[in-house]
Amino acid sequence: MSERTEKRTQVADVDRSLYDFTYSEEGYERYDDGLTPDIVRAISEKKDEPEWMLAMRLAALDTYHAKEMAPNWGPSIAGLDMDHISTYVSPRTKQAKSWDDVPDDIKNTFERLGIPEAERESLAGVGAQYDSEIVYHNMREDVAKDGVVYTTIEDALHDPQWEPVVHEYFGTLIPPADHKFAALHYAVWSGGSFVYVPTGVKVEYPLQSYFRLNAEGAGQFEHTLIIVEEGADLHFIEGCSAPKYYEANLHAGAVELFVKDHARLRYSTIENWSKNMYNLNTKRARVGADAQMEWVSGSFGSHVSYLYPTTILQGDRSNCEFSGITFAGATQDLDTGCKVILNGADTTATVDTKSISKDGGCNTFRSSVIVGRRAANARCSVSCQSLMLDDISRSDTIPAMDVRNATASVGHEATIGRISDDTILYLMSRGCSEPEARTMVVGGFANPVSKELPLEYAVEMNNLIKLEMEGAIG
Amino acid sequence: MAESASGTLVLERVNTPPAQTWNHLRANDITLTVPVVSRKGDVYFALPRLFESIECGMGGAVTDWIESQASDARYVEVRAGEKREEPIIAESDTGIMVRAGAEATIVVCAPTGGPAQGTTAALVRIIAERGAQVHVLEFVCGDTEQHLESVGIVAGEDARVDVRQFFLGAGTTAAGLAVALDGNRARLDLSCRYLARDNDVLDINHVIRQRGRNTRCDVHESGVLDGHARKALRATIDLVHGSSGSEGAELENVLVLSDDVTNKTMPVILCDEDDVAGNHGASIGSVAPEQIQYLQDRGLTLEEAEQLYVRALFDEALICAPTSETRKAVLARATEILGSETASDLVEGLDLAEKSGPFATTEV
Repeated sequence: MSERTEKRTQVADVDRSLYDFTYSEEGYERYDDGLTPDIVRAISEKKDEPEWMLAMRLAALDTYHAKEMAPNWGPSIAGLDMDHISTYVSPRTKQAKSWDDVPDDIKNTFERLGIPEAERESLAGVGAQYDSEIVYHNMREDVAKDGVVYTTIEDALHDPQWEPVVHEYFGTLIPPADHKFAALHYAVWSGGSFVYVPTGVKVEYPLQSYFRLNAEGAGQFEHTLIIVEEGADLHFIEGCSAPKYYEANLHAGAVELFVKDHARLRYSTIENWSKNMYNLNTKRARVGADAQMEWVSGSFGSHVSYLYPTTILQGDRSNCEFSGITFAGATQDLDTGCKVILNGADTTATVDTKSISKDGGCNTFRSSVIVGRRAANARCSVSCQSLMLDDISRSDTIPAMDVRNATASVGHEATIGRISDDTILYLMSRGCSEPEARTMVVGGFANPVSKELPLEYAVEMNNLIKLEMEGAIG
Repeated sequence: MAESASGTLVLERVNTPPAQTWNHLRANDITLTVPVVSRKGDVYFALPRLFESIECGMGGAVTDWIESQASDARYVEVRAGEKREEPIIAESDTGIMVRAGAEATIVVCAPTGGPAQGTTAALVRIIAERGAQVHVLEFVCGDTEQHLESVGIVAGEDARVDVRQFFLGAGTTAAGLAVALDGNRARLDLSCRYLARDNDVLDINHVIRQRGRNTRCDVHESGVLDGHARKALRATIDLVHGSSGSEGAELENVLVLSDDVTNKTMPVILCDEDDVAGNHGASIGSVAPEQIQYLQDRGLTLEEAEQLYVRALFDEALICAPTSETRKAVLARATEILGSETASDLVEGLDLAEKSGPFATTEV
């Protein structure tokens, strides 16, 4: 076990303090709660944006107010009152390229989360967002020399070379009118990452963005825009966490991924928002010919989640693999899944998801597979396995398939069940306590997904499962 | 539900499953326009109020509409322990009580008569008491413009229900089946076979609520889609809290023969209990090239090979058809689709011509 893991174990043995620690907001810039055109203008002015971006924000605000939530959708978000959410909180610090230049409280936060250490050991670049602003951004020089760009959207907008690129791509894959919270995102977005990988460049180590929401009663609305040019290759990791408050927090980010012909992008996420968080995030990828999109997703936190990463397999022979795990404990109602749209000929998609429900937690797996008329010989298989750990929890699977091509083949299978008594008895007869036996089985259940993650994140995910199962890591 | 001045009614959100998907997929329900005849002042026989609480597959709006449009409802009771040999023919609004330990076969056969007949409908509600055995056979083989068939079944302790559905008709067919396995060890076996071609619209909603302990449900749907057919199937297994020891399984196989087909499938499991097992699967595609090759090697054209799958549907429907009326309806539709020669083969192959009934007089 690495020193870092041991350190985390000691912290988490006591309670969830690995994630549940806060620092004072004193001295921070915090905009009024609620949503008004003045707040939107203030955010835009603060960022000194181009005129087109302000116009987009204001139009999105109108869309947000005009759009109704579908009455037949998922877990309730009635507890989310936008009049009590501040959409912009800034720690009044400039973005740093060295951790030494980051204010102590913020640096301590990310050190406790292990970000600087991970950067030193295994990452090509790191972006760290604290509340509404990126506070640290850096990338290895050798990666930069290859022409890879990893910066914030704000910085890209101020760069004459990249402003037209952002203008061309921003908001095209997830339009502001997509749904109510996409419109909200575009009205008040702040922070996030812009990544550009030039043609043929393979980034050897992953890039990582970590999003930390420290403020109470606030929202985080980062925008991630990644363009992987033809034949390029990238692994991007996204992590997020927040301390627990009694007041609702909101995360409504957007992730737009453009994977060009023959390129490959792996997008890994470990989400561990606190259990007062409404996580209404939107992620979408468009994949070119012979290109590959891989999603690895672990969802552990949030009070309510609406999270359905979408892949549009536009190019012929493009491919998508989605591996996801969701763990819903007490007070959590997580509505997660994915969408795949197969438009190109000979496209293939594989979806493999697992969910675990415990202590009254609710999991809903929701998917849609759409095979378009020109998707000749498209192949898609969806597998969804759900584990119920007690009789007060709930697990639903709601897949939908729309197939419009005779040569396509689509398969779906789902199972819901519990750990068999025989298995527990077998393990106990070999010296395990019952909690250990149950944790072992759940760990094995999650293993196909955790093995897809980089080692340190696989360790973090396994620790999160132990934490949820036993109340402490040890 | 909105009534227009022209004597029609728009029924919205028909065949809605208990849990829904994205509205933009347009897979959550179907909207139907149905005729309305004013019956103000008329008093018809209504079913005992006990039947009002039965959930029917197409939803409350369709139940209300059929009740308002049907003339006398028909109530049938099969006495406790009785094994009724003669099938019960269920029509527009029928309530059937199968008492404890009794056994009955219930047949629902959609009327035929051509598109000119417009809209036809059937509403069937069944209560299967403790230990009862109920066999339900549904045949939609007609060519009316639009047919609605809404069925609700409640199964008590140790009751056993098997349902066989054949949706082979033309035009628009909307069918809903809701089965509540309320009693401990109640069991449902559901087989649904369908064919939709040309511009047919087929919309099916299956809802199985497993409430009792150790209940079982086994659902198999399969069918063939051709031409510009549009089909939606929603199948929900709801493992309700308290249904410990229960198992539910659902599987659909769809054979798509044309690129112009629209196939929507929504298999749902809702699980509010840990000591249960729920499985579902769906397989959508065309005939494997090697299977086609095998058949072509034996002298069949591609079209003939694909027609074998259609013929199999009619084969099975004929085997299951228990009355002369249902056999006549299936055979007439088979003749229309497969031709009279193949229809004759079906009759001969099943050795039905010998039997008394429709085949002696049916022109095939």
